[in-house]
Amino acid sequence: MSTEALRATALTKRYGRRTALAEVELAVPPGRIVGLVGPNGAGKSTLLQLICGLIEPSGGVLTVLGRRPGADPAAVGFVAQDTPVYAGLSVGEHLRLGERLNPRWDAALARRRIEQLGIDLRQRAGRLSGGQRAQLALTVAAAKRPDLLVLDEPAAALDPLARNGFMTSLVEFVTDLGASAVLSSHLLSDVERVCDYLVLLRDGRVQLAGEVRDILARHSGGLEEIALGYMTGGPR
Amino acid sequence: MIWLSWRQFRTSALAGLIALLAAVVPLLLLGIRLKQSRRSYLASCADAVRCADALRQYAAEHQNMLLFIDAGVLLVPALIGMFWGAPLIAREFETGTHRLVWSQSIGRRRWFTIKMLVVAAAVVLAVSVLTGMLTWAAGPVDTAAGDRFTTIVFGARDVVPIAYAVFGFVTGAVLGLVMRRTVPAMALTGLLVIVTQFVVANGVRPHLLPPSHETRAMTASAINELRGLGGLTNRPSVRGLTVPDAWVTSASDLRTRDGRTLDPAVFGACIAPPAPGSSGSGSSGSGGTFGAAADCLGARDLHVDVAYQPNRRYWPFQLIESGLLIGLAMLVGGFGWWRIRRR
Repeated sequence: MSTEALRATALTKRYGRRTALAEVELAVPPGRIVGLVGPNGAGKSTLLQLICGLIEPSGGVLTVLGRRPGADPAAVGFVAQDTPVYAGLSVGEHLRLGERLNPRWDAALARRRIEQLGIDLRQRAGRLSGGQRAQLALTVAAAKRPDLLVLDEPAAALDPLARNGFMTSLVEFVTDLGASAVLSSHLLSDVERVCDYLVLLRDGRVQLAGEVRDILARHSGGLEEIALGYMTGGPR
Repeated sequence: MIWLSWRQFRTSALAGLIALLAAVVPLLLLGIRLKQSRRSYLASCADAVRCADALRQYAAEHQNMLLFIDAGVLLVPALIGMFWGAPLIAREFETGTHRLVWSQSIGRRRWFTIKMLVVAAAVVLAVSVLTGMLTWAAGPVDTAAGDRFTTIVFGARDVVPIAYAVFGFVTGAVLGLVMRRTVPAMALTGLLVIVTQFVVANGVRPHLLPPSHETRAMTASAINELRGLGGLTNRPSVRGLTVPDAWVTSASDLRTRDGRTLDPAVFGACIAPPAPGSSGSGSSGSGGTFGAAADCLGARDLHVDVAYQPNRRYWPFQLIESGLLIGLAMLVGGFGWWRIRRR
């Protein structure tokens, strides 16, 4: 696993006249949990969609795990915002869906995780709590054994306890799979807890990127303070 | 993926099955009743002439009721497009689950193709059973009436309804993909399918094969067999002209011997009701539907040019029209297949 998880060179995305991402430069080493933070409209979702190959860049180059985004859908696991699941399908049927649609599916891993969470396989997904639903979506994304997990604001709607459980699961999965992860969030406390790499976007530009421990060493104060400083008006 | 497509379609399929049973059982009983009715009509006739007459009465007795059922079957493609087609992909957008399923290892185009094929198979199966039953049940009446080509009857027999249903389903699914919302997609699907049925039946079907032509002399007795003469204006048009064992696709206005359309003034004078007070002796002419008007026009050596499709072209027409609609469905489906990559 020596290929970089992500490399962006002058990556730009425009929607009509509006520039969502401008000349983004990134080089993220593998095995990291990357926290992508920034105010609303900073370009976080745009960058995640580019990583998943859901949209095409307007300029520049992006490689994911050394390849074109979307070149190998099995290599990237995506947990979308609000963690959608099929309300009418049971939890067990979601695992079956994953098994049918993914060549590298790890059925044992998925089952073990659902059992650990104490979720009944016969329960319909529409009747799960928000936290359980998010856990199910994460399990489906992780059991396809991707090399990179991408999560778009996965815990935004969860209460603190469920969020805590979700973040713990995420770290366990990433360790288990030996994968990398990118997660966007505006909850800086979550990012501080689980991420070891930080990318801070503002107005479509990267304001700050690097290993969390390096950032902490170079600045004074906690990560949350530093990030807020960058979001509100550049480095102090 | 086949499993998932089926699992998601299961509830709609069950609803469709119940509707199908609710239609097939009465059709079965109807078919039996129509066969019995035919036997009892034939039991009372002695010779060929009277039997032909009995069969005409038999057809007349049941034709209207069958037209009612045919009209219902004509609505099936729109209903399938609305309830099986439109929600198929629009629902995924509405619940956000497209983001779950599109992030599995299966490509979006493969996902789309398999989903479409699974439901299309169910459409073909269900509509085949329905129209098969109707074609069987109505068979004796259709034969007795010698009428397979009337717009409504043709659209509700044999293979054409299956092709329309496939077209309706594909249109609904692709509109759902483009519009991303179920209810507007359902409304537009219903409208588009019905408009397509109307346009094809009236504007395209008459020209699927080059029609045969015939010049028909309009004697007084020929005029009295018509259903209508003229319209609100004095245009010398005719309505309800029939050719034995054929479907009349168009009939010209009344023409004079040199091929020109009859002067509306002359036509108007012939069909004008006699002025009150004029001698009443000749006003009813030799009798018949149009009375004196028929005699007046019949004396002028008029004719009409008719274009018609012989009834033996029924099967070629069924196959050509079905092929046309399946082709349309594939075009629409191909557009969806292309479009889904670019979302």
